[in-house]
Amino acid sequence: MSLLFRRLDTFGRLAENVALVTLLSTMMLLAVGQIVLREVFDTGVIWTDELVKLIVLWLAMVGSIAAARENRHIRIDLLSHLLPPRGIAVIRIVVDLFAAAVSAVIAWHAYRYLQIEIEFEDTVLVDVPAWIAHVIIPLAFGLISYRFAVGAGRVAVGLWLGEEGRRS
Amino acid sequence: MILISLALLLLAILGAPLFAVIATSALVGFHREETDLMNMAIELLSIADLQFLSAIPLFTFAGYVLSESNAPGRLVRLTNAVLGWMPGGLALVCLATCAFFTAFTGASGVTIIALGAILYPALKQDGYDDKFNLGLVTSSGSLGLLFAPSLPLILYGVIAEVSIDHLFLAGIFPGLLMLVMLAGWSFWVNRANRKPLAEFSLREVAAAMREAAWELPLPFVVLGGIYSGFFAVSEAAAITALYVLVVEVLVQREIKWRALPDIMRQSMVLVGGILIILGVSLASTNYMISSGVPQLLFEYVQGFVSSQLTFLLLLLGFLLILGAILDIFSAIVLVVPLILPIAAGYGVDPIHLGIVFLAAMQLGYLTPPVGLNLFIASYRFEKSIMHVYAATLPFLLILLLSVVVITFWPTLSLWLVPSG
Repeated sequence: MSLLFRRLDTFGRLAENVALVTLLSTMMLLAVGQIVLREVFDTGVIWTDELVKLIVLWLAMVGSIAAARENRHIRIDLLSHLLPPRGIAVIRIVVDLFAAAVSAVIAWHAYRYLQIEIEFEDTVLVDVPAWIAHVIIPLAFGLISYRFAVGAGRVAVGLWLGEEGRRS
Repeated sequence: MILISLALLLLAILGAPLFAVIATSALVGFHREETDLMNMAIELLSIADLQFLSAIPLFTFAGYVLSESNAPGRLVRLTNAVLGWMPGGLALVCLATCAFFTAFTGASGVTIIALGAILYPALKQDGYDDKFNLGLVTSSGSLGLLFAPSLPLILYGVIAEVSIDHLFLAGIFPGLLMLVMLAGWSFWVNRANRKPLAEFSLREVAAAMREAAWELPLPFVVLGGIYSGFFAVSEAAAITALYVLVVEVLVQREIKWRALPDIMRQSMVLVGGILIILGVSLASTNYMISSGVPQLLFEYVQGFVSSQLTFLLLLLGFLLILGAILDIFSAIVLVVPLILPIAAGYGVDPIHLGIVFLAAMQLGYLTPPVGLNLFIASYRFEKSIMHVYAATLPFLLILLLSVVVITFWPTLSLWLVPSG
């Protein structure tokens, strides 16, 4: 079981890195390329601007998935300096399950929206089906939900094992 | 409804991820208005409609690359060569380099980690009092928020839909005011320790400049390009990111190719954390605006605030409290859309509002209970939080004074901004 989790973790991290490196590099080259085209050749590619904006959306979403894995989502970090570790662990389980639930709700409704986009054959970047560009929203929120659920589960297991350890 | 709001507030204080809290408030709002919850997806997708937003990931990445290279050390050497001859010069070096570095790395606490490690021991070696050093390094870590191209300035421009170029101009004098006031205080505290660091040496300046030759053009490319209207902010960001990448990886060879994916990842984790809050906040503020919350707030505030002066006073108090509990990025995306129309009602210029907002939020980095710089410094220099807080307090008070000046003297911000 734990081996499976470790493999998933390695694979997930790698996939995120590949996506982030590709997206960020593409964005840099596109944006600089656009300037060169404009200043040197007095021309431009019409869809570059839209593509750069879509890449920002993807970077934001993949970055959020990575932030969920590394537990780096922005929180009000007030109690961790005040409460004992066990209290923090209990609260942590509650708030992370909450985050998992909300993310799941968003993922589901984003998925529904995607269905509608497919049905109406919406397009972006001249003639690319919009759902290909927008699929990242349900995907990201689904994965974020999963990460928070796993995170809460780990804290719970740690809490339980910790208690066992103290008793024996 | 009040019960749900209270529950959400409680969850936020307990440390629930802010994006989840804000998203829930928007979803509840949609549900009450009988709007389909699919709207959340539409609002999130509108991240891709915002102008100039690509500047945020690009500048963040450039800042992370710079902080991983030896550029911080070169920056300190150069500033030291130029300013170090003055009595108390090292304090000034600390303030100036931190301000510059924060402006370029976007106020994420990187400054204390990248520069504090060099400056803190140097200050100590030079005979400055330890408590002073700790306070100086901690409070310098967020100095420079008002200088281009800091991320909060760009984010404010995107959210408030005001010209980012104008914001960059508006931040110059208020930022300098903070710098000068802190420098003045540092001189005053160390008036007994007047020994200059070193003789001024043109040779050392030249050597330091040669060493930093690759980084020196950066501010001119970025700021010159933007101020002259040659590039848009997002284009300057792309050029900066690519340039920094080429210089530090190919020319200076201080960053290995292998390290790049992780640097990209770390910078995008920060960006993802900010932009997901931006996305869900678009949903919650759109709901609030469509149900007339800013209008209600304005009418409510008008009931007891009649002049612009009292409004600014109230605003300042509110922002200081806000800054103590919320980080600067969440505060911008959540609060700016609501107070913009109110401020406009009192005739406050949106550019000035932005500068006041960020200046007040900067204090939030240093105020308990959640001041980010306090925790980073405490962790980095292995001192207790209370110790760091006490050391930072005098600096906090000076900055507070500067924020008051910035708030009630709009001309300071608007001086350089072309009118109309």
